[in-house]
Amino acid sequence: MPAYLIHLAILFSIYAILALSLNLIFGYTGLMSLAHAAFFGIGAYTVAILTTRYNFNFLSATLAGIIAAIILAALIGFVLSKFKGDYYTLGSLGFNFIIFATMLNLQNLTNGPLGIPGIPRPNFFGLDSSIDFNFLLLSTCCLLLVYLICRFIVNSSFGRALKAIREDEQALEIFGYNVRNFKFLVFVISAGLAAIAGSLFACFITYIDPTTFGSNESVFLWSIIILGGLANLRGSLLGALFLILLPEALRFVGFPENVAAQMRQLVYGLLLVILMMYRPQGLMGEYKL
Amino acid sequence: MNNTTKWIVGVVIAALVVWGLVAANKNKNQRNPAQKTVMGDTYKVGVMLPLTGDAASYGEPARNIYQLAVDEINAAGGVNSKKLELIVEDSKCNGKDGANAAQKLISVNKVQVIIGGFCSSESLAATPIAEANKVALFSPGSSSPKLTGVSHFFFRNYPSDASQGAVLADVAYNKKSWKKVAMMQEQTDYALGINSAFSAKFKSLGGTLVNEEFATSATDFRSQLTKLKSQNPDALFLDTQTPASAARVLKQIQDLKWKPHLIVSDILPPDTATVELYKDLLEGALGAEVGTDATNPKFSHLQEAYKSKFNVDLPFATYGQTEYDAVYMVKAAIMAVGYDGQKIADWSRTVKDWEGATGKITIGADGDPLSRHSPVMIQNGKMVPFAE
Amino acid sequence: MTIVPQLIVNSLFAGSVYALMAMSFTLIFGATKFFNFVHGSFTVIGGYAVFYLVERLAWPIYIAIILSIIVAGGVGFILDKTVNLPLRKKKSTNTVKLVASLGLFIVIQAFVAILFTSQFQTLSNTIEQKIYQIGSAVFTQTQAVMFVSAIVVFFGIMLLLKFTLFGKAVNALSDDEEVAKIVGINTDKIISYVFFIGAAISGWVGILVAYDTGIEPTMGLGALLKGIIAAVVGGMGSVPGAFLGAFLLGFAENFGIWKINGEWKDAIAFGLLIIFLLFRPQGIIKK
Repeated sequence: MPAYLIHLAILFSIYAILALSLNLIFGYTGLMSLAHAAFFGIGAYTVAILTTRYNFNFLSATLAGIIAAIILAALIGFVLSKFKGDYYTLGSLGFNFIIFATMLNLQNLTNGPLGIPGIPRPNFFGLDSSIDFNFLLLSTCCLLLVYLICRFIVNSSFGRALKAIREDEQALEIFGYNVRNFKFLVFVISAGLAAIAGSLFACFITYIDPTTFGSNESVFLWSIIILGGLANLRGSLLGALFLILLPEALRFVGFPENVAAQMRQLVYGLLLVILMMYRPQGLMGEYKL
Repeated sequence: MNNTTKWIVGVVIAALVVWGLVAANKNKNQRNPAQKTVMGDTYKVGVMLPLTGDAASYGEPARNIYQLAVDEINAAGGVNSKKLELIVEDSKCNGKDGANAAQKLISVNKVQVIIGGFCSSESLAATPIAEANKVALFSPGSSSPKLTGVSHFFFRNYPSDASQGAVLADVAYNKKSWKKVAMMQEQTDYALGINSAFSAKFKSLGGTLVNEEFATSATDFRSQLTKLKSQNPDALFLDTQTPASAARVLKQIQDLKWKPHLIVSDILPPDTATVELYKDLLEGALGAEVGTDATNPKFSHLQEAYKSKFNVDLPFATYGQTEYDAVYMVKAAIMAVGYDGQKIADWSRTVKDWEGATGKITIGADGDPLSRHSPVMIQNGKMVPFAE
Repeated sequence: MTIVPQLIVNSLFAGSVYALMAMSFTLIFGATKFFNFVHGSFTVIGGYAVFYLVERLAWPIYIAIILSIIVAGGVGFILDKTVNLPLRKKKSTNTVKLVASLGLFIVIQAFVAILFTSQFQTLSNTIEQKIYQIGSAVFTQTQAVMFVSAIVVFFGIMLLLKFTLFGKAVNALSDDEEVAKIVGINTDKIISYVFFIGAAISGWVGILVAYDTGIEPTMGLGALLKGIIAAVVGGMGSVPGAFLGAFLLGFAENFGIWKINGEWKDAIAFGLLIIFLLFRPQGIIKK
């Protein structure tokens, strides 16, 4: 399989994990969070620091990343739960900014803008994943795992409660459901899943810096799930596929590189506007925004 | 899902698959033209440089110079009667794309030696990849002190900013008697590298520092400058990544009616436009540059050849000379030890008094050249060698 | 302690810019009731329009400025008619409008970057900038213009809202859109005019910034977020609140970095936002 396609497939699996985890809170529960890139980043940075400086192996570093993301999500989720509607989105954006600033400024820990290079590719089941194809196997397994977890959640009674929260929170409270706990729990789970994507990303590119985890990335993740369709897991996969291949298609059309980067942004933005105007449920969504 | 949705999904998936395959195929052909030639006809030399993004103005001339050198070498018979062939990747002056570029050159084009990165972030990200694959990485422009001794497979012919920082600290403390320096620091790799070298040396001499940092996108420096001004420093070190950033800060220093003694990072003095614009403020400012020698025959040959081929004067001569030398050094390496990354890396540490456009080049065990920065100052809006 | 007057001056000028953004944002919010992210784009449009006219076409400054303000307002007007109006007619949720506005913001930013590159551009060297001094505090002519215009715009909007028929219609609309329609107010028309005014003010901010420091395509988000923070802190929908909130933000940032390092300035702004959202979500002045 051509090296280039393997590269794209790996990126797809990473962004698909991010899309699925974001869809859990945004599409299913109605929590419109722009903080997702921050949890992506926490996972990536934890793994980067632990594997390069303290010689952790991939599995334990990833677990540590998940735990770090969960702890932070607990704090942030707690504060955010006090906000409603657009203020929730604004607050989550604020948290994304604060975490981004932390990644940039705490240079003793994160190297700031210099980033962390030399993140090792993991060895698992005896397979050396510095060969891209082997890494693809790893990332696909992770994607499958995350997909199954999400499907399990969505089809369970927990998942049904989440959808009910999205539709009418107050009604659910009247029925005696502790809505706060549900929102809190799903937010924390989604952050942990995002951290897995972060770990894969860090080990794949072998270098990370704060710029990948800013608010632009959070908005990009929004476009994926809105395009693919909210509250639909397969939709998230489709959305991720589409938006990962899009820049390649643009390059194929022949734009010069720097214009191509901006064209990509232009198309994302245009997609969001057109979707909102003509098909707010996206391609496969079951939930209209 | 209903029928309309199924249709839409089907069409989208089909389109994506077709796109994906065609795009991949097209890229494959673009990246591996060498596969059409028989292996063994040429020595493939990988090149990573910033062709787009903030540092593109450095990348374009670099590519021209590499090609110029390769054409000269091939016209004179090549290397061991084989031609040199450049394979160029855009590393966009950041670590992520630097890592990607190195990955592609190594796994897809299977090069044994790469000239690059240009920006330190590119080199820092690419080095672990080069080392894991035993490929030699040779940078003509990365100046971060973090690259000193970072890997046996990395070496450079451009001096580390440790030398810039040390020279600035030494001149500032000993010659100018500036004991307390305020730093207005841009949060980028190159600028921070100079900071750490300067701070270490300055503090070890007994000086004190006050530090304020700003992100590249920041535009309002007034309160930070006010804070620094109130500390009454002997001098202000304006450590920025680009002349444009320096200009933004200089304007606000001017607006605050502050005229501190200034120290600047080495991107500023050669930028005649900015220096001219703020020449009052910059009068007597201290800097440190990597010098060029107009009497060096290879250097003057480079200037003439560049002018006649590209119709403009050689831009960024400091880098032009190291880039030109880099290609010839790779040629020398291949001729001496063969086309093998490990052997080229070993060879690099044996380079002693090699005659290049930059003069005599010696590379130490840590991969750094022995050359150093020299102090300069700004007088009457012009950069001149430092004199007391 | 001589640092304090200068910090006060810095705070006042930072606050002026935030006030202009916040007041225009809150005005539009009052009429349309959703967070409109495209508001940041007008700053970019205003700044680049004046840059293009003055730097590339060499038009005289005052004409260029007036034209740029009109262009920014005009784009706002058009966007309202082409995007917001259909969404309003479809009775779309606030979320849909927010996402659409986010999309528009990205489109405009990318468009400007393609036309003008992402490099920083400045007009600050094209005019003679006088520097004034009060005590130990120093400021430039452009900064003085910022402060004066913030005050002028504040009084302008307040007078408009209180004493003109148009203003009263806007108030009615902000209170209850349905009732306003019933009473016979052409709410769609009023909203587009409010958009024009708000976008024009936002464009004016871009022009000021172009002359004070400089512009780049990504500046819209930063300016907007500070404006939103100021508006929320001051009380969404209240113009005096936005005015106060903006200066509070300016002071918090500039005095904050006296003790904390400067690179945390944005984090301080967001911290202030979150504190207010937690403890006084209706803001300083409740609407």
